[in-house]
Amino acid sequence: MNDAGSNQLQVIDPPAATVVTGATGWLGTGLTTALLGDGEFGRSGIVRGLVRPEESTKHLPDGLDIARGDVTDAASLNALFDGLSGPVDLIHTAGVIHPAASMDEFDAVNHLGTRNVMEAAARHGVRRVVHVSSNSPFGTNGARNDRFRNDEPYHPYLGYGRSKMQGELAVLAAVDDGLNAVMVRPPWFYGPHQPARQTTFFTMVKKGRFPILGDGGQVRSMTYIDNLVQGIVRAELTVTDPGRGWWIADAESYTVNEIVETVGDALRAEGFEVKENSFKLPNLAGSVAEKIDTVTQKAGKYITQFHVLGEMNKNIAVDISAARTELGYDPQVSLATGMRNSIRWCVEQGIEL
Amino acid sequence: MSGTVSTPSTVARFADGLLTNELPLLSDDRRREVIDFIGRRVQVLPSLTRFGVLMIGRFVDVTGMIVGHATMRRFVTKLPIPLLAEYPRLVRSLGFAYVWETWPDTTVDGGTGVAP
Amino acid sequence: MTTHHECDVLIVGSGAGGATSAAILAEAGHDVLIVEEGPWVDQGSVSPFSLDQMDKQYRSGGVTVALGVPSIAYTEGRCAGGGTEVNSGLYWRPPEETLERWRSRYSIKDFATDDILAICEEVEHSLSVQPVPGEHTAASRILQRGADKLGWQNGEIPRWMTYPEGAGATQGRRQSMTRTYLPRSFDAGARILCDHRLDKIVRNGRRAVSAQLTHAGNPVTIAFRDVIVCGGAIQTPAILQRAGLRHRIGRTLAVHPTVKLSAKFDAAEHGAVNTPEDVSVFQVKEFAPNMSFGGSASHPGLVALALTDNWRDFGKAVTKWPELAIYYAAITSEGRGMVQAVPGMRDPIVTYRLTKRDRDLLGQGLARLATVMLEADAEEVYPAFKGAPIVRTRADIGDMASRFAASKASVMTVHLCSTAPMGDDEKRCATDSHGLVHGTDNVFVNDAALLPEAPGVNPQASVMAIAIRNARRYADQRAG
Repeated sequence: MNDAGSNQLQVIDPPAATVVTGATGWLGTGLTTALLGDGEFGRSGIVRGLVRPEESTKHLPDGLDIARGDVTDAASLNALFDGLSGPVDLIHTAGVIHPAASMDEFDAVNHLGTRNVMEAAARHGVRRVVHVSSNSPFGTNGARNDRFRNDEPYHPYLGYGRSKMQGELAVLAAVDDGLNAVMVRPPWFYGPHQPARQTTFFTMVKKGRFPILGDGGQVRSMTYIDNLVQGIVRAELTVTDPGRGWWIADAESYTVNEIVETVGDALRAEGFEVKENSFKLPNLAGSVAEKIDTVTQKAGKYITQFHVLGEMNKNIAVDISAARTELGYDPQVSLATGMRNSIRWCVEQGIEL
Repeated sequence: MSGTVSTPSTVARFADGLLTNELPLLSDDRRREVIDFIGRRVQVLPSLTRFGVLMIGRFVDVTGMIVGHATMRRFVTKLPIPLLAEYPRLVRSLGFAYVWETWPDTTVDGGTGVAP
Repeated sequence: MTTHHECDVLIVGSGAGGATSAAILAEAGHDVLIVEEGPWVDQGSVSPFSLDQMDKQYRSGGVTVALGVPSIAYTEGRCAGGGTEVNSGLYWRPPEETLERWRSRYSIKDFATDDILAICEEVEHSLSVQPVPGEHTAASRILQRGADKLGWQNGEIPRWMTYPEGAGATQGRRQSMTRTYLPRSFDAGARILCDHRLDKIVRNGRRAVSAQLTHAGNPVTIAFRDVIVCGGAIQTPAILQRAGLRHRIGRTLAVHPTVKLSAKFDAAEHGAVNTPEDVSVFQVKEFAPNMSFGGSASHPGLVALALTDNWRDFGKAVTKWPELAIYYAAITSEGRGMVQAVPGMRDPIVTYRLTKRDRDLLGQGLARLATVMLEADAEEVYPAFKGAPIVRTRADIGDMASRFAASKASVMTVHLCSTAPMGDDEKRCATDSHGLVHGTDNVFVNDAALLPEAPGVNPQASVMAIAIRNARRYADQRAG
């Protein structure tokens, strides 16, 4: 393993061009906004985003170079590299978390799509690839005080987990063939640019209707988007062996009770009226939801509500010390601040909570 | 096979069938020795386990007389029926442990020969 | 014809609890008689971890089981010296936070951590507890190499062994009870009756007055002033229950459930991997106390046993047993079990229930252990559960983890305790803070049954330290 002390980390300059897949997604939007902004992670080179042919680019930051293509269409990915010269880095954020129609999307995008992207990166001599993976290939912690270490065995959680595991394996296969690729693994991320389902989360807390299973003591790691952007950029620019993967999350993990309380406090601090949370369900409800989720996924269907509820009584908590020592990763935003930022962003966008 | 003194005949019959099937090249002498060992262990099992093993042994044996011992053996070794499935597992575990501890160069078929 | 004996203190059982108690009390001038159900077997006269040893020194030839879903196989030593004669001799002090938790949660009086650790130091001296001076076995080095590559904390566990100058791991002489505390107790006048099974302790109200035993089919009676029951976590509660004592007895059996795998290594690269008569002295403690990994006995017979869960796919590996070693993942369990003596039955009924967390941890532990094996360059890993795949790559571990269910696994344990927990909290405990059974004047427990919880480490150091502490207290209070 790579155990360089933080003072000896070797950091390289941003490349002439940075290519981001999944640019229109939640993370892609946040990432490209940061790379093109004036903040700590702003850079002067070209930032180019992969956008599917039919997608709107309205919400994307000014200055983003748009390449039309789709990770599921290998040939279309050449457009990402058209006319670029000098070193190119690629951040692969494209992925399906909650498929709209069919379970097949998981494999098509998260697995085969990743393979296509790695092959394109290898073809075009990309300097460094950062693949955004997930906690899902690793399942859940057996005990509440367990923390995932950096090198954990795979134990994929349902269809999404399997497809993200296959994605990681595709990256590792490309590394074996000589590609300089690494991975970051953020659990449950949140923050500005978040999609509607996360807004629903705020609304549920505000109405006191967030489903807490059992005693609510399940432990979760979460990742604020700015912390994640920091982790991605450090993984890109810090020199390490290829094939490494790191947990990128907030400094601490939280219990579900703490999360709900913190969100409630953040909403109050932003001037919302928040009802006492009274929606408690027995653990059994989580198990039932998980069973339904498993059965429907086997039948090729995906129902977000069951999936989310089924996952609610799990512990998913990670140890970020490897990212700290190997990348100098140092998350700056806490849950309380991160949630207030998210709420403010929703209000600014005119989203009703 | 019924020449064993200490092994209950029902268990001996079952063990003999199982060993013949799973370790076909195990010699008759050795198989008898293994069955004796299984019998000795069954005799010293804790009260309840021993009672259970003898009951299941008798049930399997009697049913085997009707449907055929081989059919019954396949049935109990393949199907994951709680308790019932423990019976072949116990017999196999004891038998295999004895075979390879006593004759470590035994082949996977139960044959002698190849030095490891 | 009935034989009759008399003594001041009758000690039932001669293992880690009984032998230490006997030495302390005899040296304090008490007239001590030990009764032991099993035989006296000299160290070195049987091959360690063999079926022959199981026949001679284990209860029921080592085939004992706690019923449940899954059932958990366990083993009990049944010989002079008890478990210390037949286990791997790995010695681990009770963790300080464990001692503190026991003290506060169970209201154990006079249980200062420093006092217990001071006794541990004495025990370590008496048993020559030490690391291997010379070379480690391949099985040890494999575990160390795999864990080191992952950056997972691991280390050597010292054993109660003496070694010739600079000798390797396999040349140790086990400093078990038959070599240490039992001879010490005999020197101080204690007597032992082996092959004597205790059937019943006879009580008169709060006082126990005599014991009925069987020796070679003949009845034996023993009259005593006090009785100290040290039969281990399964026999002790059964003995007490047969004497009509039931309060909190046998209700809270605690174990460290374990799951296993065998791993195959290239002999050309790593040398002879299988060491039939020794186990790994390294343990991986990165995830302690939730889970730890270590090595198991790997006799060819035991290798065959570890492959039987999926014999169709794994069986052919058995001929390669010199290249195979067996490892375990043990967890601290939230579940509890019961020991229930039934009138008319020789042996108690033992049950154990794993919780969901326990099952999940067993799966997670097995997957992490398989990861250690692959990092240590295992060519193939054979997990011991029904329907398990052969693991060759990280992706295979994903497949293995998805197929795992505790109910399909060969779950076993060698650490049993907590069936007569000690402490002044009478609602939770069977005995007072020093092992006197609540509701009696002269019935003591002094073995693993007293540990209020499974300690998360090899428990015999805790058993010995607590037994010595209680025996000293007894000696202080009752003149010899």
